[in-house]
Amino acid sequence: MRQQQSIIGHLDWPLFIAYLLLVGMGLMTVYSVAFNEDHPNILDFSQKYGKQVVWIGVSFFLGLMVFLIDADIYRKFAIPIYLFTLVLLVIVLFMPPVNGARAWLGIGTMGIQPAEFSKIGTGLLLARFISEVNLKQQTLRTVFIANTIILVPMALILMQPDAGTFVVFTSFLFVMYREGITYDPLVLGMINSIPGVKLKQTWVGSHFIPILFVVVFLSLVTLLISNETLEYGFLPGVEIPGMYGVVMSLAIFCIVLLLLLRLVYSKRERKRALLVVAIGFILSSGIAFGVNYGFQGLKSHQKERIELFLGLKEDPDGEDYNRNRAMAAVGSGGLVGKGYKNASVSSVESNHVPESETDFIFCPFAEEWGFVGTIVLIVLYMFVLFRIIVIAERQRSKFNRVYAYAVGMILFYHFAVNIGMNIGFAPVIGIPLPFFSYGGSSMMSFSVMMFILLKLDSQRRDILQ
Amino acid sequence: MNLDTRKYVIIAFFLIVGVIYATRLFYMQVIDDSWTLRAQQIAEKRREITPPRGVVFDRDGRKIVSNRTYYNLMMIEKNIKNFDTLKFAKLIGWTPEMVRERFKEIVEGEGMYFNRHTGKKQSNYQKIRPYPFLKELTLEEVANIAPHLENFPGFYEEVTSMRRYPYANGANILGYLSEVNREEVDKDAFYSPGNNIGRAGIERFYEEQLRGQKGIKYIVTSALNNAIESYGDGKYDTLAVQGPALKLGVDIILQAYGEKLLQNKRGCIVAIEPSSGEILALVSAPTYDPNLLIGKRNISENYPALVKDPSKPLYPRPLAAEYPPGSTFKLLNSLIGLQEGVISPEFGAVCDKSVVGCHNHASATNLADAIKHSCNPYFYAVTRRIIQQGKKRSNFEDAEIGLNIWADYMHSFGLGKRLETDITGIRPGLIPDAKYYDKWYGHHRWAFSTIRSISIGQGEVMLTPLQMANIAAIIANRGWHYTPHFVKSIGDKGPLEQFRTKHYSKVDGRHYETIVEGMRRVVHEPGGTGKRARLKDIVVCGKTGTVQNPHGEDHSVFVAFAPMNKPKIAIAVFIENAKGGGGLWAAPTAGLMIEKYLTGKITEIDREKSILEANFAYK
Repeated sequence: MRQQQSIIGHLDWPLFIAYLLLVGMGLMTVYSVAFNEDHPNILDFSQKYGKQVVWIGVSFFLGLMVFLIDADIYRKFAIPIYLFTLVLLVIVLFMPPVNGARAWLGIGTMGIQPAEFSKIGTGLLLARFISEVNLKQQTLRTVFIANTIILVPMALILMQPDAGTFVVFTSFLFVMYREGITYDPLVLGMINSIPGVKLKQTWVGSHFIPILFVVVFLSLVTLLISNETLEYGFLPGVEIPGMYGVVMSLAIFCIVLLLLLRLVYSKRERKRALLVVAIGFILSSGIAFGVNYGFQGLKSHQKERIELFLGLKEDPDGEDYNRNRAMAAVGSGGLVGKGYKNASVSSVESNHVPESETDFIFCPFAEEWGFVGTIVLIVLYMFVLFRIIVIAERQRSKFNRVYAYAVGMILFYHFAVNIGMNIGFAPVIGIPLPFFSYGGSSMMSFSVMMFILLKLDSQRRDILQ
Repeated sequence: MNLDTRKYVIIAFFLIVGVIYATRLFYMQVIDDSWTLRAQQIAEKRREITPPRGVVFDRDGRKIVSNRTYYNLMMIEKNIKNFDTLKFAKLIGWTPEMVRERFKEIVEGEGMYFNRHTGKKQSNYQKIRPYPFLKELTLEEVANIAPHLENFPGFYEEVTSMRRYPYANGANILGYLSEVNREEVDKDAFYSPGNNIGRAGIERFYEEQLRGQKGIKYIVTSALNNAIESYGDGKYDTLAVQGPALKLGVDIILQAYGEKLLQNKRGCIVAIEPSSGEILALVSAPTYDPNLLIGKRNISENYPALVKDPSKPLYPRPLAAEYPPGSTFKLLNSLIGLQEGVISPEFGAVCDKSVVGCHNHASATNLADAIKHSCNPYFYAVTRRIIQQGKKRSNFEDAEIGLNIWADYMHSFGLGKRLETDITGIRPGLIPDAKYYDKWYGHHRWAFSTIRSISIGQGEVMLTPLQMANIAAIIANRGWHYTPHFVKSIGDKGPLEQFRTKHYSKVDGRHYETIVEGMRRVVHEPGGTGKRARLKDIVVCGKTGTVQNPHGEDHSVFVAFAPMNKPKIAIAVFIENAKGGGGLWAAPTAGLMIEKYLTGKITEIDREKSILEANFAYK
């Protein structure tokens, strides 16, 4: 009882309320998109919204359990929890495949996806490992163990196969990066093997992960929109090829960034910032052009394979590709949307956008609420992400901080990839929008992940480690 | 190493992605309209609504062509998914083989075209296009199928209408509908596969009016192309507009009576209202019930038999059959003679059977009596005076000039050219001119004696029964006619423009009275050849004709109009292979038709009986 009182007092209400808002908006969208006139009651458990209500209820119950258990248990039991999720990942490989993937454990619709829960186990174990008192960050051993913790579940997930969750696991690399575990030992090992070179650290090695992310993101965006022609309603007749649109966007972004930096930086720092940003702009433009040039230079069948992978091309069956339909649904939302329950492209009934209640749930939301709705959603997610960073940085315990970063990065990945594939910035890999998409496993796993974070945060003063 | 700054890298990532996504969403949702268009393409379908065709009334407002609602089971191959042939076959009561056959039939039915780009022959069939899988289902049939169609994506039912003919008459006037073919779909954007188009008669000629305007309904559709709801509450929809009703000049009761009179005979009756040119009846015997050719099922069953029938029921004889007019032609030769001044009404001639055969009658001392007796030598003399006017010394040169003058007059009576009525498939008949005979005999190698049979409507002269009836109308009007036509009004807009101009013959109106008097005598005076057309209270003016038929019995012809003053009906009756002359069969038939039309009753029961019993059809 003492703990329960303390959790209400120490709960991070802003994050909790934002979580509730997202869950509520998600349920509202599921109700709209899967609406069945014969079963209008949101509590009708034969319908998806009824089931989602059940999943949310179960999630809240699990959340209560999490709050009741002492926070220290997650650190103590990180290894068993991790191993348990690994066992589940192995068992699931022997289950009958659903839609071509052995991702479901259980019978029919009541199954769970162990991959969703393995994120929690991996996050906890990674936090436990990094928070070891005598850990040396810059050793090959540390890098090796940390990567093994991630790679084992990744390998099992790839065997299902579940490309989306596989990609999400790379978010742990950022957690490692934040804690100083990078690939620099590897890079140094290679460079220092050259006679006469003796470096203590390299910039590229230390920042390898964010650099990789920038390169991948920029390449994807370049590939995805270089074929698009951008037109602006207020500039009739002006058509900008997608490639130049990318570079222009980069330039605008850099200028905005510089203006923002002026506010916080002193004069001397500004000069350095200008230099860094200019170099960054040149490098990233170079990457964009390079990727585009390299892509155009490919043989047509290679090009086609990449286009198919990115969802840029119609598949051989002649079906319209999902990405294009999803983008049409989002883009047709306009400023204020078509109105609640008025999505014409992305309702489940019309079925133009497949999986519009799960992976593509952003579509009906964007179609119904327009830019007003999507900007609210983006701001809400941004708030959640920043709040998690704030929480992470205020932890006294390293375990808590690493776990908080893991939660933040996983949510960020899901947010970035899921919405990205709805707006043509990411290839179509099916991962849910946290708290929003229909589905028991994702709702429960994200909720438990969030509740553990809230619990850890509420007890941050109790723990000295 | 200070790791705390690294949180800014992560924050920067969050910020950058957030800002980029917000900007992108602003661009996609607020600035760029193309996605809205794309969404419309995806989810909002333009569905065409084909209205029921315009209905057709007869001159007294009886509905003679109406519509009945049917359903087509449409399919779009692109939308067919997980098709269970067995289940589907069971649903529509077929065998799976029949279903597969039907798919093949639809694809093959579209034919092939040569693709210039690929250099290959390719099918016209398109997967994205709707095709009727089953046609003309009744409400009961579709009610059993429709509820289960949701299990068969790509299939849906569509309302369609088919014709109905409450009267089993006038098939050759009304025509019939059948499904559009490939070329018609390509040529006219109005049509899509499965639509009907008029194939003959009024249905064909007034296709553009009768088909109406297609409505366009914008609907929100699912990926399976099923309608979900109307788009924008239907504010962008246009309604289908049914074609205007056609009001025919035809009297369907008279038409039916004419068809009855010509049962077991081959021949024609054409009746025209002289004052308007409206066709009152156009009987082509033998005929068929127009209900035989409604819809694909009926057509495929009945059409081949109708085509093969040796008595050619599909052949519109009154418009397309060309016959020698026989003695009825003497009326025109008389009129030309009077106008040319080569004879006068008091012209007399001896019935000299040495020149040309004739029956026994007193020699005519005037034109009217000559018409009454239909004296062959008399009209031989009249026509000789027209052809050989003595303008040249050479008989041959003289005949050339004379014949061309004569042919000019004939053309002004609507002969030797198509009488462009509002049904296609009419024939021009033949009025020989100098050029024509030059081809046969050589230039200046013929004279009247060579071509004399034209004086009694035999030989080269050919008329369609429609032209014969029109001659009766011209005489009834004393010199003018409207082009005969079926439709007296499209909606309430009156007839087509081309049926509103009077055409005058080259013979002045004053010359007609003598002819009219002669025609009265034919029917009403003792010794007249057409006395069997006589009616009690109505003055009928007529002229008999007996057309020599080298292939069998003579044809029996009669042209007439009535009443003598202010005529209401002009008629031509042509009965093939009738034993006996025009007076025996065609005249009483015309008389009955006139009585039926003018009084609505039949008093001459015996005459009617003998005609109904007569059978000249199968020799």
